[in-house]
Amino acid sequence: MLGAYSSEWVKLRRRAMLLWGLGGGLFFALIATIFTIERAVKNPTLFPLRRGRISFFELEQPTGLVHGVTDISTLIGIVALCLFAGAFATEYSQGTMRNLLVREPRRIQLLSGKFLALVTFIGLAVVLEIVVACAVAFILAPGRGITTSAWTSSTGINDLLQATLHVFLASVGYGMLGAAAGVLLRSPGVAIGAAVAYVVAIEGIVVGAIWSNGDRWLPGQLFSALAHGGTSDSSYHHSLVTVAVYVVLIAAGTLAVFRRRDA
Amino acid sequence: MSSSVVTSGLTKRFGQRLAVDSVDIDLPAGVVSGFVGPNGAGKTTTIQLLLGLCHPTAGTGEVLGRPITDPASYLGRVGALIEAPSFYPTLSGRRNLEVLTRLGRIDSGRISEVLAMVELSDRANDFVRAYSLGMKQRLGVAAALLPDPELCILDEPTNGLDPAGIREMRAVIRGLADRGISVFVSSHLLAEIEAVCDHLVMIDKGRIVFQGGVEGLIDAQQSDIIATPEHPADAAALVALCVAAGRPARVEGDQVHVQAPEEWAPELNRQAMAAGITLRGLTVRRASLEEAFFAITENEPEQSGEDA
Repeated sequence: MLGAYSSEWVKLRRRAMLLWGLGGGLFFALIATIFTIERAVKNPTLFPLRRGRISFFELEQPTGLVHGVTDISTLIGIVALCLFAGAFATEYSQGTMRNLLVREPRRIQLLSGKFLALVTFIGLAVVLEIVVACAVAFILAPGRGITTSAWTSSTGINDLLQATLHVFLASVGYGMLGAAAGVLLRSPGVAIGAAVAYVVAIEGIVVGAIWSNGDRWLPGQLFSALAHGGTSDSSYHHSLVTVAVYVVLIAAGTLAVFRRRDA
Repeated sequence: MSSSVVTSGLTKRFGQRLAVDSVDIDLPAGVVSGFVGPNGAGKTTTIQLLLGLCHPTAGTGEVLGRPITDPASYLGRVGALIEAPSFYPTLSGRRNLEVLTRLGRIDSGRISEVLAMVELSDRANDFVRAYSLGMKQRLGVAAALLPDPELCILDEPTNGLDPAGIREMRAVIRGLADRGISVFVSSHLLAEIEAVCDHLVMIDKGRIVFQGGVEGLIDAQQSDIIATPEHPADAAALVALCVAAGRPARVEGDQVHVQAPEEWAPELNRQAMAAGITLRGLTVRRASLEEAFFAITENEPEQSGEDA
């Protein structure tokens, strides 16, 4: 598995991967932080909060530092989903999967090593996104008169670390979904399209029109809830456990298909 | 002589399509074995079965003495180029090989060695997307050589190559055999295989139709004696003379083609002289591998329509 892990990093260091995998999430994190701070409302009693805006009071809380990033955690997750789906499906569409299987015929080790390398990459990307988002927040906040003392308190640091962990875990969940789509569908375009459509559109329609309680049980909804550290509909503990079950089930199914299917 | 590959009743079915039908192969170690057959005959599927890339529907096989159901036990000693060479276009040739050395726990020092073997050292740091097809094929062979293999399986390594590239590839393949590496090379171009192989496996419609030495196969085919009479008007008399001796013959241009073994050429010369026909040319044309292949496959019984 270490060989597969190490081998994957040669591909992850490609310029395109850095641009889309790191740059994509970084761009969203940056934009979200700038928008959150620049559009924050000082006195919501005079200027009622409109969609996407929060008050200075909320921003000045210990959790205020990463408010923007957790708000767009779904987008960061979608980037992870695309990265994983593309990384697996492209091996099939390019014909390189056969080369890999000749050098590492133990398929479970190959898939696990590749997946872990992508998880590490996403972990680094999330940390980088949060670091950049925090730096930008610290730069912009004083200019708008937002007090940042709570951000550096022990509670603030703890909230920051927890938010980083939550966004990372949610991204791994999205990534697992992408990996499964990549292995099953074998075409990057089809795999990314199907997985994104499922998370963005299909689950939304199901929850909105068919199964209102679906936001407690559908994977995409739970990944999003986990990224926010739990929601009013789905507690943190429920989200974490259910996401873990989903990840294990999806991983087991993907491994079983990968092991049995002809390359 | 020991065997590098042995299969027994190896079969692969894709749905209703029988791609490989009870294939029995026995490849001697240390020689170049050709695997020939028309497109769609089952060559690539057979190779994929040997490499553990697809699972057999029935039958057994061994590669380097290990069962094909356990590819991890032998693939470390096998190099392979499967169909079109596939690489990451936005990685250099060197980085592409690094992906494989890391994956297979192969000494990274081998990368420079194999690049030199296929004469790609000067372009090793260019992106693969800038490589010509011939360069990609050579990189594919380099990738196959990375583990310093005991057996090298090359699937259509000359596909898309120009004549110069084909000649280079032949030299590379002969070079492998000279180093004691068993080579199993597939191609649908029979003349190409004839030029480089010692041993031959012929497949048609998923079934093995011949395996053995190349020379033995060609020798077993009927050769032609080509006699050129000094006066073209004597051609008809020469044909009559051959037919009377039980040797089928026909006139082609100013030549007479006689179906007879090489040993009959002096007898033909004597009989022609006795009949007052002077020959200004007498040559023997041996059957090509292509003719041998068609001679064998034409004698094969037709199989059911579901075959590949």
